[in-house]
Amino acid sequence: MATTQITSSITKTPAEKNQIVFEEQWPKMQPTIVKLLRQEAVNRSEWHDLFYSVHQVCLWDEKAASKIYKALQENITEFIGQAQLRVLAHAEDQALLKAYITEWRKFFEQCGYLPKPFIQVELSLNNHTTSSSSTMPKKHKNDDSDVRKLMLDSWNNQIFSNIKQRLQSSAMKLVRAERNGEAFDSQLVIGVRESYVNLCSDPDDKLKIYRENFEKAYIEATESFYRLKSLEELNQNGVQNYMKYAHTKLKEEEVRAKKYLETTISIQALMDSTVNVLVTLYKDQILCEAPGMIKRNETDKLQLMYKLMDRVPDGIQSLLSDLEDHIINAGLEDMKINALTITQDSEKYIERLLELFRRFSLLVKTAFLDDPRFLTSRDKAYKIIVNDTCIFKLELPVKPGVIKTTPESRCPELLANYCDLLLRKTPLSKRLTSDEIEARLKDVLLVLKYVQNKDVFMRYHKAHLTRRLILDASADSEKEENMVEWLREVGMPADYVNKLGRMFQDVKVSEDLNLQFKEQYRLTKGAVADSINIKILNAGAWARGSERINVSLPLELEDYIPEVEEFYRRKHNGRKLQWYHHMANGTITFSNSVGKFDLDVTTFQMAVLFAWNHRPNEKISYENLKLASELPDPELRKTLWSLVAFPKVKRQLLLYTPEVQSPKDFQEDTHFWVNQEFTVIKNNKVQRRGKISLIGRLQLSTERSREEDNEGIVQLRILRVQEAIIKILKMRKRISNLQLHNELIDILKNMFLPSKKMIKEQIEWLMENKYMRRDDKDINIFVYMA
Amino acid sequence: MKFKIKSWNSVAIWKWLANDDKCGICRAPFDGCCSDCKIPGDDCPLVWGVCSHCFHMHCIMKWLAAQQNQICPMCRQDWALKSDLP
Repeated sequence: MATTQITSSITKTPAEKNQIVFEEQWPKMQPTIVKLLRQEAVNRSEWHDLFYSVHQVCLWDEKAASKIYKALQENITEFIGQAQLRVLAHAEDQALLKAYITEWRKFFEQCGYLPKPFIQVELSLNNHTTSSSSTMPKKHKNDDSDVRKLMLDSWNNQIFSNIKQRLQSSAMKLVRAERNGEAFDSQLVIGVRESYVNLCSDPDDKLKIYRENFEKAYIEATESFYRLKSLEELNQNGVQNYMKYAHTKLKEEEVRAKKYLETTISIQALMDSTVNVLVTLYKDQILCEAPGMIKRNETDKLQLMYKLMDRVPDGIQSLLSDLEDHIINAGLEDMKINALTITQDSEKYIERLLELFRRFSLLVKTAFLDDPRFLTSRDKAYKIIVNDTCIFKLELPVKPGVIKTTPESRCPELLANYCDLLLRKTPLSKRLTSDEIEARLKDVLLVLKYVQNKDVFMRYHKAHLTRRLILDASADSEKEENMVEWLREVGMPADYVNKLGRMFQDVKVSEDLNLQFKEQYRLTKGAVADSINIKILNAGAWARGSERINVSLPLELEDYIPEVEEFYRRKHNGRKLQWYHHMANGTITFSNSVGKFDLDVTTFQMAVLFAWNHRPNEKISYENLKLASELPDPELRKTLWSLVAFPKVKRQLLLYTPEVQSPKDFQEDTHFWVNQEFTVIKNNKVQRRGKISLIGRLQLSTERSREEDNEGIVQLRILRVQEAIIKILKMRKRISNLQLHNELIDILKNMFLPSKKMIKEQIEWLMENKYMRRDDKDINIFVYMA
Repeated sequence: MKFKIKSWNSVAIWKWLANDDKCGICRAPFDGCCSDCKIPGDDCPLVWGVCSHCFHMHCIMKWLAAQQNQICPMCRQDWALKSDLP
């Protein structure tokens, strides 16, 4: 239809008389076509004429398009035939490749030009064949042109399919030669690849020919090359050298692949297969070297192994468990070797732990480049060391018949002790700079992260804090409060941290009260007011056990007790005071023939010592001291022991007879007297004046309530477990046993790790008391009962 | 030769002086705090009525706010704060 319209409109042109037919025009066109194919010079008018002729013929002659196409095909075939002869003239591989690539490149370049004049042909052909309504088929891009396709297909059929095997194998030989270290023109291989890539005329999968031939051959050649080589290398040089070899080769192949292969997918495919031949095949052999290397800290070799294994599926799995085993074994062994020193000294213990942590972290960093999977393994193993019970056990005593607990590591207790050494005025905290102390406190927090039973740490930390606040022994109050915030940051339970915060606040309130009291007391009693301090604390934040210990205070103190009570009653109506004399302390002066000394003592020590004020030179029996001090038996024994055998004091304040091994061996008639030779010895020199503290670790509770304390840990854990179970059930309504366990551990992990047994018992208790029940149909499901 | 006191730091804990050990409203001990508080002590004080009944301040405030008549929940007498305490 379209052609008839065009025909009628063209009838007026000058050429109308001579019908333009293909047969007449072709001889004019052909020489130009041949010239084009041969890459010979075609001048502008020849080039234009070709366009013109094609156009004219197609307009006048309906059949011209297919005729031109056929003629074109013949010409191309002929040209390719000649090219083929030129290529095959070379017998030697490299020369053949070179000739082929030259011919191909020329031909391929012409594939871009030759189709241009024949656009009209293609249009006509397409109109006939498809008769589609769209006049502008999208195929008009040069790449997809029919003539181009004709050219490429012809090349493919005539030359390529005949010699592709030779081309391919020559190219692979070259690559192989390169692998063996011979130099050659890499352009030859690249040229071959290009012909594979560009030859494909399939528009949907342009890389089909390339992939099915070149890529496949390349991968196979690589694989077979290394299959032999790797085995040879491994047998000759051993695993460790082999790892180096494999690593270098993998890198080399990656570079090579980028040069010779077309796409990243292709490169990946090659690398996968190369990794397989070079590494995966020998995975077990390589990995069995790992434990030894870890032990010998051969980080370079390990890093190599890690890099290799990281390419292999599941490769690092066994490395991870080797690392864990090593950390656990080496860590525990180290602890056992040093058991003697570290059990005595919490500073050494914590330093040891930190040293181990640094050592293992360095290993993970240098050998495994801080890969998160290895960091997780380190954490897992380190946790085991921290919570190990081989060296120290903390036995949490329980009332008979109640739950038995498994022994726990004393780590949290020692950690708290260490923390105390840093925060209290001690030789250690005096020696360190503020920054150093801060760094070490952060170390404490680091180890604390791995501690399972954080509740034990909290309890000890709070006890130490109580002592520091009561004795005004903090080295730096700013650090104290920072530490509270840091504990909050590492996820300590909020109500615990808040309680610590309350203690600081409470001490401040109490200081104000103390000032007011002194002011008032000074009015009536004069200067003595300055020597008396009161700390009145809030039971909620501080109280431990409500047991009251009887003690007969020195008279001057006894008088002052009602004064304070009266003062406080007037300040705060509706409150009463309970004296905690076991926490109270003071300074006394004592002079003898050697000199005059200031002694920091507890109130209990004071009460005992003042018994001698009436009879300074007498020997007093235990029995009489009991009457004088009114202290209960266990407290008196302990107090006396602290005066006759205070650690690190060369001349004790009290002497006694007969000698005993421990405080419980004092008899009613053991006699005590004041050591008139008592003195402070500094640098092996007797001092005439001096100050010494005999307080030791301030007692926070009585002997009996100490046991209650540790029971308290267990009791509190039971309550926490119950509370958490109810909390979970309230939210979930129904929950499976397994999920309940998991959520429970998640809630409690910042305090302690509940044992399976404890959880089970508390679930049973809660069911007995109708807080929850098992599902009727599934006994593994629990249901909340409101 | 005598021991002489140079200074003394005494320690005491204060407690509520209540005539009962539990709050009649929340049933929690006076040593503890009301159900809305976390830490006992200054933050959760006790108050006494003229009828001499004693409650957590927060508890009795809540109770009075919910009632039309301002009466003590224990003895039904008119509620008024006692000013002079024991």
